[in-house]
Amino acid sequence: MLRDLFDSEGQFNSAHWVVLSDWSGWTWTAIGLLVCILIGFSWRNTEHLNRIRRLTLLGCRTATLIVVTFIFIQPGIRLEHRNVVRNHVAVLIDQSRSMLLPGASSGSRMDQLKTYLKTNLPVFESWKSDHQIDYFTFGRYVKAVDDLNSIQALGEMTDLAAALEDVQSRYTTGDLAAVIILSDGTDTTKLKDISEPGLMPNRVQALIKALNAPIHTVFIGPDKVAPDLAIQDVSYDEFAFVRNAVTIDAKVSVFGYEQLRIPVTMTRNGKELGRQVLDVVPGKQNYEFSFEFVPDETGKSSFTFEVGAAPGEQIVINNRREFVIRVIRDKIRVLQVVGRPSWDERFLRKLLKKNPNVDLISFFILRTSSSLQVARRDEMSLIPFPTQELFEQQLGSFDLIIFQNFTYRGYQMRRYLPLIKRYVQNGGGFVMIGGDISFSNGGYAGTPIAEFLPVTLRGIQPGGGDKGDYRPSLTSAGQFHPITNLKLSREENQAAWQDLPKLSGLNQVAGLAPDSTVLLEHPTARIGAKKSPVVAVRNFGKGRVLSVLTDSTWRWDFESFGRGADNRNYYKFWGNAIRWLIRDPDLKTIRVTTGKDRYAVGDQVSVTVRLQADDYRPAIDQAVRVEVAQRAREPSVKDSMIVRQGKTDDRGLYTFSVPIKKDGVWTVIARAGDDQELVDRDVFVVTSEPIELATTKTNPQLLKAVSSLGQGRFLNGDESLTGADLKEPLLLQVNRRKDVPIWSSAWLLLLAIILPSTEWFLRRRWGLL
Amino acid sequence: MTMNRRKAITISAAASAGFVLPARSWSIGLDSQVGITVLDRGNSRELRPRCVEQLMWEVSKRTSINVREEPIYLKLTDESLFRNPFLVWFGRGEITPLTEMERRRLSLFLRGGGTLLISDVSPLGDEAFDTSIRTEMTRLWADRDWMRLSNDHTVYRTFYLLEKPKGRVARSDHLEGVIFDDRSPVIYERNDLFGAFGRERFGAWSMPVFPGGERQREMAFRTGLNLVMYATCLNYKRDQVHVTEILRRRNWRVQPSKTIR
Repeated sequence: MLRDLFDSEGQFNSAHWVVLSDWSGWTWTAIGLLVCILIGFSWRNTEHLNRIRRLTLLGCRTATLIVVTFIFIQPGIRLEHRNVVRNHVAVLIDQSRSMLLPGASSGSRMDQLKTYLKTNLPVFESWKSDHQIDYFTFGRYVKAVDDLNSIQALGEMTDLAAALEDVQSRYTTGDLAAVIILSDGTDTTKLKDISEPGLMPNRVQALIKALNAPIHTVFIGPDKVAPDLAIQDVSYDEFAFVRNAVTIDAKVSVFGYEQLRIPVTMTRNGKELGRQVLDVVPGKQNYEFSFEFVPDETGKSSFTFEVGAAPGEQIVINNRREFVIRVIRDKIRVLQVVGRPSWDERFLRKLLKKNPNVDLISFFILRTSSSLQVARRDEMSLIPFPTQELFEQQLGSFDLIIFQNFTYRGYQMRRYLPLIKRYVQNGGGFVMIGGDISFSNGGYAGTPIAEFLPVTLRGIQPGGGDKGDYRPSLTSAGQFHPITNLKLSREENQAAWQDLPKLSGLNQVAGLAPDSTVLLEHPTARIGAKKSPVVAVRNFGKGRVLSVLTDSTWRWDFESFGRGADNRNYYKFWGNAIRWLIRDPDLKTIRVTTGKDRYAVGDQVSVTVRLQADDYRPAIDQAVRVEVAQRAREPSVKDSMIVRQGKTDDRGLYTFSVPIKKDGVWTVIARAGDDQELVDRDVFVVTSEPIELATTKTNPQLLKAVSSLGQGRFLNGDESLTGADLKEPLLLQVNRRKDVPIWSSAWLLLLAIILPSTEWFLRRRWGLL
Repeated sequence: MTMNRRKAITISAAASAGFVLPARSWSIGLDSQVGITVLDRGNSRELRPRCVEQLMWEVSKRTSINVREEPIYLKLTDESLFRNPFLVWFGRGEITPLTEMERRRLSLFLRGGGTLLISDVSPLGDEAFDTSIRTEMTRLWADRDWMRLSNDHTVYRTFYLLEKPKGRVARSDHLEGVIFDDRSPVIYERNDLFGAFGRERFGAWSMPVFPGGERQREMAFRTGLNLVMYATCLNYKRDQVHVTEILRRRNWRVQPSKTIR
């Protein structure tokens, strides 16, 4: 306005009022006092006049003094030509997927947002002379945007704090005029529960302060949210331990429903694990559910937590959550039952105790039936053999049971032998180690134990057994079997076995079970035409069994050590045996892996199949068939399946990548072998990150809190940005300046003469002079 | 443990008074037998004759261990040393220091899992063996403290619950040794433990016990049996499943292990 009046030629870009006089403060004070005195005199010497005359004279006196003072002050207009650096207005536009949900009108929140920007375009334009308007989208990341019409609500999350942090990093201090946030307020990260400024994390408060500019927030969203059931959170550990109870907790929020009964289910690998009911009651918004199960085998399992769709529910994608839990071993729980203390027991116990991955429960029989008792029971440290607890109540908790020179007879254990057989059938590992009361001499012939041993037994034969020293030899199967694999190369392995100390004693048995494998055999002792086994293995049901028909493997430890040789082969042998017995996944001859447990829709999933021969060498040029499949959620929809076939390379590997475009649980099944008998599976989840659609709820309170802390304004979607506070731009330098004095105007001088003259005239006329 | 009293009595009776196992079981090889090896140095063969046999006979009668009664006498340089993990060193008078080779072999034996029981069979008042063996052990375990073993040590509860070690004499109320790899590979007793075990040809005890009494001899047997059990089972009785029961039965005050040197 001023510039238009005083700079008709447009030579300046700034105009403002200035005082051109340079009077001191004392002078101003004196002038002020003088004015007051003069008005006071006038007030006193006119008090006898009527009201009209008095006010007229006072008015003339006051006006005269104002005009004179004005001239005395010497006001003027300063015209300047300045160089100004425009500061920035950062406009943050929420482009997360929650903006696809219904907005205030018929369209989505994103539609509402775009309309708001269009409506406020004149405001932004008016700011452009002094400010640069920078538009950004935010969700997971902050991204500069030029074309506002091209913005799509595809963001997988909303992280407002990260967005503000990003804005701060983009501008130097004082470079911001203001920050304007347009959002529905549904932060999906650390600010999601913020409803007032005091609850804001200190770090975010410091961040807002550091921006050093007002933050205005504009709430985009409906006044009332659509009714919805939404899974807010499913908490679980990605790793669980086999035979340890696993708890999965889930939180479900209910919006817009007052009374409702909806089933809630948890499924594991497609099978229902549990079912509960969501019983909605008026006034309660959040509901919690808990499911517990005990995994009985290692590996990955897919889980689906699902809440049934409510009547009239618009969004059901947030009613389902899929995830993967990897079941691993905590520790290998080993039960070592020993018939009598011996050196073999002593060194095996030392080995098991030293292994940090083994949780060892030992039970040694320290007395026999004929042992003399010369002390009272309370003078002895013996405890009862808790057969029921070990072989009935706790049996399933063990990964491996070792019967070391142990006979079951005498402890009322016969009734537990079928349970041990079932334990092995169901996947347990079992070792029988030789000795004078083991195998045949343990009386196991004809018992359920004999049914799963790799060797066949005969009746008790006192003295039965070979008592001499011998060096066992590797069988052809033993040369490649993981248990007897002490060294990497075949030659080194053979040499290692030849270098081990001799064994002593051998349990004689009737023969071999039909499907057993002998790994080590006696050099001379025979059963019929075949050499006597020393170490033999067998798969029984889902379990594995190892027989060591001697009680002298401890020599591989102590005697090797005494020779200054490597006693690690003793540890290696038993370590290999334990891994094989518990079915360590690394010892499967076929393995399929997908690298990750979770992928986003459209990701390339990399599948690797590793195939080994029975002797655990890489299986080269072998046919492999892989199915990547997803079972359809609805019966009316076809299952999805991708099939790849190929051959393994010289490392025994077959790899490929495949894009997955549908969300949900996917299973990878690899098959190989002549009859496709080698099978392995893996599972992964493809997710479209429904976290943004976890709720239809908005959170304007968060926006209010941010604007409050940022000393800006909170606006509803129907309120204009006009008048929003912006920080002034930075002044760089003044190129030209011109002062236009106002006091030197002829009109003003004329007034300064006319007004006192008029007062003089009236005073004279009314008889006051 | 969820076991009723009747069941516990039945099973413990089976375990302790069983019905099936014969008194002596047959072995399938020498390794099935647990025996004692006596360190062959100078006059060790004559020091405590027929004592090891008597102890092992008692072990075979009282426990399930399949024993070899006769001792084996071995030098530290003998090859078969590492087939016999339990070594006993009888000592009287000042010892001849171990050679470098012997010391290396003994160190290897102990670190590899063997157990050495040093038994001071000196007459009362003769400290020559004690002084010299301590010097030797200091050389052998330069990196370990020589300890007075706590009366809470597993050796006091491997089979019998004991308060202190007993022997033919009552020279010391404690055992000493070193702790290595969560075990005590060297145990030193000063009460002439094996002297309490010897018998004459016709069954009489070879040597009287001092201060005396059959109870002392019985307690010496229990000490010896616990040591054999410790050599074969190590810290088995320290497993949690046993601890509660043992603590319930014993009520003496635990004295912690102390460093002697």
